[in-house]
Amino acid sequence: MFLPGIAAASLESSSTSRTEKRRERIEGASLEGVSVRPLSTEEKSKAFALPKKSEVVQRQRLPVRYHVEDFDVEDRPRRFLEAFAAILKHTNYRLALDHYIRVSAKCARCTVACQVYDATGDPHDIPCYRSELLLSVYRRHFTLSGMLRARILGDPGLTDEKIQEMADSFYNCTACRRCHFECPMGIDHALITHLGRYILSEIGVAPRALVVSTREQLIGATGNTSGIPLPALLDTLEFLTEDIQDQKGIHVPFPVDQEGAEYLFVPAVSDFMMEAETLKGIAAVFKATGDSWTIGSKYFDGINYGLFYSDHVLEHVLRKIRAEAERLKVKKVLIGECGHASRSAKFFYPTYCGGKDALPVVSILEYTHQALKEGRIKLDPKIVTERVTYHDPCNMARPGWIVNQPREVLRAFCADYVEMVPNGRMNICCGGGGGTVSIDEIRPYRTAVGGRLKAEQIRDTKANYCVAPCSNCKKQLRELMEDQGVECEIGGLHDLIYKAIILPKDTPSGDEKQEESAEGSVSLAAGSEDPGNEGGES
Amino acid sequence: MPTFESHGRAYDVDEDGFLQDPSIWNEEVAKDFMVTEGVNELTEGHWKVINYLRNYYLQFGIAPMIRKLCKETGFKLNEIYQMFPSGPAKGACKLAGLPKPTGCV
Repeated sequence: MFLPGIAAASLESSSTSRTEKRRERIEGASLEGVSVRPLSTEEKSKAFALPKKSEVVQRQRLPVRYHVEDFDVEDRPRRFLEAFAAILKHTNYRLALDHYIRVSAKCARCTVACQVYDATGDPHDIPCYRSELLLSVYRRHFTLSGMLRARILGDPGLTDEKIQEMADSFYNCTACRRCHFECPMGIDHALITHLGRYILSEIGVAPRALVVSTREQLIGATGNTSGIPLPALLDTLEFLTEDIQDQKGIHVPFPVDQEGAEYLFVPAVSDFMMEAETLKGIAAVFKATGDSWTIGSKYFDGINYGLFYSDHVLEHVLRKIRAEAERLKVKKVLIGECGHASRSAKFFYPTYCGGKDALPVVSILEYTHQALKEGRIKLDPKIVTERVTYHDPCNMARPGWIVNQPREVLRAFCADYVEMVPNGRMNICCGGGGGTVSIDEIRPYRTAVGGRLKAEQIRDTKANYCVAPCSNCKKQLRELMEDQGVECEIGGLHDLIYKAIILPKDTPSGDEKQEESAEGSVSLAAGSEDPGNEGGES
Repeated sequence: MPTFESHGRAYDVDEDGFLQDPSIWNEEVAKDFMVTEGVNELTEGHWKVINYLRNYYLQFGIAPMIRKLCKETGFKLNEIYQMFPSGPAKGACKLAGLPKPTGCV
């Protein structure tokens, strides 16, 4: 019999019932049924090769594959412990750690859920081994029994080598949180990984790709992770409107700075460079529903790398969203197709931006699903005929928040929709989670190790198009398909919706009456099952 | 700071091999950098993409949306990938002397 998960300090709880959870845990957690070729020696050496010069590694005394900005390497253990102590003092991580050091049985059941371990077979990649790296520091330096034990046994405490191991290990994890289902003691290993990365970032050890981006976002001139200046954004939005006009013959605006709008739209800012079709689909949905939405000119980036490596960053990015929402007097915050942006806003916006009084945070997937359910958008089921599958972004699906909504939308207009196995809350990560996708220098690792299982999973579906409603997943999956030789196009949910949506024609008077629904168009019938997001925690 | 040397010229680059100072770009830079991105020769098509990127960057301080690049130059995305195997955001931008894109790009 399974013990109920003791997720005492887990930051998120699930919306599904406990029985449901247990059933899923039994049926879906193990990776049986998904078979992959073992990693060859050649693949392994390529994936784990250090992409930087040995003099940099020596100077920084940090044999990790990601680039790190130069930082003070002297006396690192002391500074690590000071940062750890400060974080413990000012947060409630101690609650979780005190519990975890008591219950962690190191039984290694988590191995069956971990795709990284599945690919490498290296005991260092067992989730509870990784957690133990940090838990042992906590036990040794921050508990009375640990300190006494060290006195008696002469344990010298934290060493520089151990810091190096943590710096490597914590970024091998994709933070997909799948192992948390399998742990009989309910330990959330990703939470420990997050804390470990947070402490490391406080002493200067964090991937340069993430640090540079967040610096631009928080104190840079453009205020976003991709460094897009406002004139470039406006030019892009104008271009998108023209593009829709060319393709559909309808004027679909991208409103900017509309005070008092219902929704403040904050997508992953990279969508403004990479994902034209997704953005056009979202604008088309708003055109059809007629709801008011706006993009803020002072702040328009939903990306929040703080979720991956620093609670400081997490807080300050959310405050920027709050400031923009208050400036424009909107009623809700709407996050675009992005897993980590959605999760960081949905679950942490109330924490840092007003508690119970915080504005509601909605994902565009929830919004579109709701609109379809209410019959406010019409989709033509004859347009998308190719085989389509759906990849769950971990940050949306793992808490049970967004699982059924996009599926109901896809089933409503895709003639050939297939599921991957396993899917939903138990889905396998794209392999680029936890911020690793932004670290270009570790691409060989991401596509050979991190995403190895995912590639086979997608190959098995024989799908032509994989919907991945997340900017991180899209980038990683495209690179994965290329490196693993899988023929499957990767795109967003709204890319397909854009193709199939039936838009009201522009009338000369500007009166946008909803057209009679075209024959054969579909909307989800009233009374269909409820989306699985009721009782969502926040 | 790493440097990249080619044809007797040395450039200050970042760790990913992108030009540190985009303002020193000229056509020689594209020719010198093309080997690092798997480009064998610079055809008229390559120059069309590079010049478009360059001009957009000088006007707006960032690379254009990929869809816009395709539409304005008349190339399909897969054609751009054929010309620049490492893609528009990496290979083409590097040859056009733009800084490395940051964030989820």
